[in-house]
Amino acid sequence: MELLKPGAKLAKPIVNDSGMILIGEGVELKDSHIARLQDMCISTVFVEGTTGPSKTTEEMLAELDERFRKTEGEPHMGTVKRIFKEYIEGMSS
Amino acid sequence: MDTREMRIQIENIDTLPTIPSILRKLLAVIDKPKISINEIGSFIANDPVLTSRVLKVINSPMYGFPGRISSLNQALILLGLNVVRGMLLGVSVFEAMQKTMVGLWEHSLGCAIASRIIATKKGMKEPEEVSIAGLLHDIGKVVMGLKFPEEYSLAISDAQNGQTFMLDAEKKQFNISHADAGGWIAHKWNFPQNLVEPIEYHHKPHLSKVVPLQTAIVHVADLLTRAAGFGFAGDNFVPAVHPFAWELLNLSEGDLKEIVSELEDSFGQAGDFMLSDD
Repeated sequence: MELLKPGAKLAKPIVNDSGMILIGEGVELKDSHIARLQDMCISTVFVEGTTGPSKTTEEMLAELDERFRKTEGEPHMGTVKRIFKEYIEGMSS
Repeated sequence: MDTREMRIQIENIDTLPTIPSILRKLLAVIDKPKISINEIGSFIANDPVLTSRVLKVINSPMYGFPGRISSLNQALILLGLNVVRGMLLGVSVFEAMQKTMVGLWEHSLGCAIASRIIATKKGMKEPEEVSIAGLLHDIGKVVMGLKFPEEYSLAISDAQNGQTFMLDAEKKQFNISHADAGGWIAHKWNFPQNLVEPIEYHHKPHLSKVVPLQTAIVHVADLLTRAAGFGFAGDNFVPAVHPFAWELLNLSEGDLKEIVSELEDSFGQAGDFMLSDD
């Protein structure tokens, strides 16, 4: 839900607990929709086209750095990190 | 609350009204020491939600089965009683996992996949059993979240705000960790040792006496799943590998590369990791 941006298209309708459709399938979400969904404590919605890799290599590497921030200097962790780094770099080449 | 009182509270979790109904029914069945595969089969078959979840998990990258398995009987024969028992526990706490921590189910399934890949690499005979240990390793988080919802949410925000490991936030809040809680409940529910020890010692693999290899595998699978950034287990940091586990597994750099690549491929092609029942 935090990842949801205006303009995302619903792949499935949003339904409340009693089965009532709140927003239909295929609707493009606006800011106001997203705010209302958050107010209603809806945590997950299905939107179209979110399965592809949307992050750049740089973003992925920055996140990898962040994840290893605390333990990079511990024994063997440098090796583990390097292997993941090479995997990420290999994806784009 | 002291540790003893905490243990009693955790062990009595079956009496909570909030415990998932599938889990309650399941505990009544699998507690029997001599349950047959047919009994388990008809228990699952009587519940369409459970049936569809079991088939979903079996056809997920958690198992590397070629082709699609569409019959429950086939699944039971392929996997065997122990694996099915553990998997049922996993799928019956799915909602509770999602409720405790968004992303915990993905983390658990990710760890199950990583455990299977490493177990296969190490030539273990029953990689599926190790993957079940991976699936259930964080069950203590679910149990703590169910039993002490408010306090556990506090620990979760504490970890997030303080940028600390979830494990440390738990200890600060409760004096125990999810590994302790998971170990207690695993004993209480009569899990086999090859599940109890990986659950109890996945952060202290050197303490595992009966199944040190399985425990070491789950320990490393946990950190590789976090390193890949797959799912969420309470914090976004990769914990350090315990030297005992590292030496026991004795993976070459080539092995590790193959494991990481297979792991990332499985996560990438995952598609439907969720068990939503529609």
